[in-house]
Amino acid sequence: MKVELQINNSANARARFVSWAPSPCRIRVTDPTGASGPVVVVNLSRTSAASGGDVVFRKGTTGLFANTLALKVPINGTSVPFFVAGKFGQPSSNNSDVRIDAKVAASLVGAVKVMVRIRKNANSLTAGERDRLVAAFAKLNNQGAGRFADFRDMHTAVSSPQAHGAPGFLPWHRAYLLDLERELQNIDPSVALPYWRFDQPSPNIFTLDYFGVSDPIGTVQFSPTNPLQFWKTDGVPGINRRPFFSTAVAPPGLLTQAQTLALGAAYAQFRGMEGNPHGSAHVSFGGFISSIPTAARDPLFFLLHCNVDRLWAKWQRQFARFDFTVAASYDSGANPIGHNLPDTMWPWNGITGPPRPPTAPGGTMAASPCVSAPGPQPRVRDPLDYQGSVNAVSRMGFDYDDVPFA
Amino acid sequence: MTTKRKATKKSKAQRPRSARAAMSVATSENQVVKERVAAMAEVPLLVCESDKDLQKVLEVLRNQDEPIEVRLAALQSLQAASFSVIAFESCRGDYIATLRKVATDPNAEMRQRVLGILAREKDGFAIKKLLDGLKNPDKALVPPEKALQLLSYDIHAEAYPVARAIINKPPNEDAKREALRLLAADAKSAPVFEKLLRDKNETAEIRQVSAAALQALKPDSLQENARAILLDDSDYDEIRATSLTAVTQFGDEESVSKDETLKKHVSRMSTKGGAKVKRGARQFMSKYGK
Repeated sequence: MKVELQINNSANARARFVSWAPSPCRIRVTDPTGASGPVVVVNLSRTSAASGGDVVFRKGTTGLFANTLALKVPINGTSVPFFVAGKFGQPSSNNSDVRIDAKVAASLVGAVKVMVRIRKNANSLTAGERDRLVAAFAKLNNQGAGRFADFRDMHTAVSSPQAHGAPGFLPWHRAYLLDLERELQNIDPSVALPYWRFDQPSPNIFTLDYFGVSDPIGTVQFSPTNPLQFWKTDGVPGINRRPFFSTAVAPPGLLTQAQTLALGAAYAQFRGMEGNPHGSAHVSFGGFISSIPTAARDPLFFLLHCNVDRLWAKWQRQFARFDFTVAASYDSGANPIGHNLPDTMWPWNGITGPPRPPTAPGGTMAASPCVSAPGPQPRVRDPLDYQGSVNAVSRMGFDYDDVPFA
Repeated sequence: MTTKRKATKKSKAQRPRSARAAMSVATSENQVVKERVAAMAEVPLLVCESDKDLQKVLEVLRNQDEPIEVRLAALQSLQAASFSVIAFESCRGDYIATLRKVATDPNAEMRQRVLGILAREKDGFAIKKLLDGLKNPDKALVPPEKALQLLSYDIHAEAYPVARAIINKPPNEDAKREALRLLAADAKSAPVFEKLLRDKNETAEIRQVSAAALQALKPDSLQENARAILLDDSDYDEIRATSLTAVTQFGDEESVSKDETLKKHVSRMSTKGGAKVKRGARQFMSKYGK
């Protein structure tokens, strides 16, 4: 007898990635040879590689998760749904480092390898995770001729009002990071965008093998085995970044995580974090990252914003602010276009001309083999329910290592 | 009841002071420098909301009698505020005008930071000052290597002859490196980079910058030169490791996988040579060794 397990309801091997939010899965009998009745009981369990991730199961959209799951599966080939989620606190380090086994009695009748792909603290990545991340970034940049140029062009002085200074700041950047992360995953599906926890010392990030070491004038140096030495933006190779703090410690003057989460229970209060810690983190350096027109030329920018997004995710969980119909989840006043909940977001909507920017680089949002949200043209409201905790189909396929499923 | 009261106290302790209170400390000459610097980090949003507060912070930035630490903190606060684009728009004119004034400040760190901000905004005033300083070092506001680095934010053809002159007669190695980075945007400069990449008398850093520039300008040439460097056992470890990275990450997979001569050579490198070469060779072999 054989069964087929589909993760994220897909037969595509590139869909075998899960996060803390439950992934819809299904199982069906593909070869009933040896079955003794119309239904067979299949027991699901999992095996993790050393230091690998771990998963849990449940039958339906509600209820407790468990380490194993027994399912009654018809032998006529009809699929039976179930859910898999990463076990909180045990993310993967490598692709396919968790195996889900399907057994009937003691016989293995099917198996599939998955990865619990989670956004982690960049300071704590393994050497392998780090090397895969910088290689994916370098390939995306591809000497300034690659897809990264679109991401650079999305974040300029001209496009800035679409993304800053108004309530859409956080949703826009969540979509922006997701778009970039999905492009990195097209190069290496095991990559998840890590975050720079700027209120804590993160010395490992500022090393020659990772995001580089700044010399006294702020030209970033890389080891000869680091592909980021070929980084190029706006026609010029290299990265300019001059920290105004010792990279052995955290930049001074930034609100801590606890202070940021205490800004207030309403989004209108919380979004004050755009100034401090967000803006303050940017200007704790000189160089590309310290000015909006050039910030996205430095790949560190995306790790900084990943932490901004993580703080928003933590705040959302703390105050249950995932539902856009709850007033305190967003700041719905008289907002500029692109900052109201029903508005589509530039550039993914392709709309150009005032009040939108004159061009819309990059096209629609990159698709994911794992999830359908937020769709090709995300609205401001879509990123709020990124885990699909309000509506399961809103799940965007990413999670943070310290923010459990709501 | 007790638990509830404790929780409230903790929450208050975590909450930062009001921006208004921070502004008062940040702009008061009677406060200690350390306190003023810390307070400056808390006022970015306030300067967007109140012209009076904006002017107070701009005055701290301009005032050469203020401690330099406080002035630099004021600059950082304004920069952070500028990230709130829509709210900051009405402040931008005064902000840029003040930066231009401070660009010639007696303090070198202040000049460098302010010219950096202006250069990133592609400010014509700053670009002219930087070019003038390179042509006439007596007028220079920042060292030549910094001026070249800042000019790369908004490359004009006018900068190329200056950069070429510095490459021919560099005041220091950093200036030469920055001039090369700037010239990497000029397609006509590819032969310069080809020559430097193969020149064993050049420093590893200059050769690595040349490799990066060539990769951008003429990638096929970099692959050819990288292959030649890898087959030359007399070349230095640093540039051989860079060449390995170029071939592994950006080489044409079909042609590299068929290049048995290169593969055999790199296979030997994975056990001989320095640590960087071995590491680069191992990365190559993990991709092409099978």
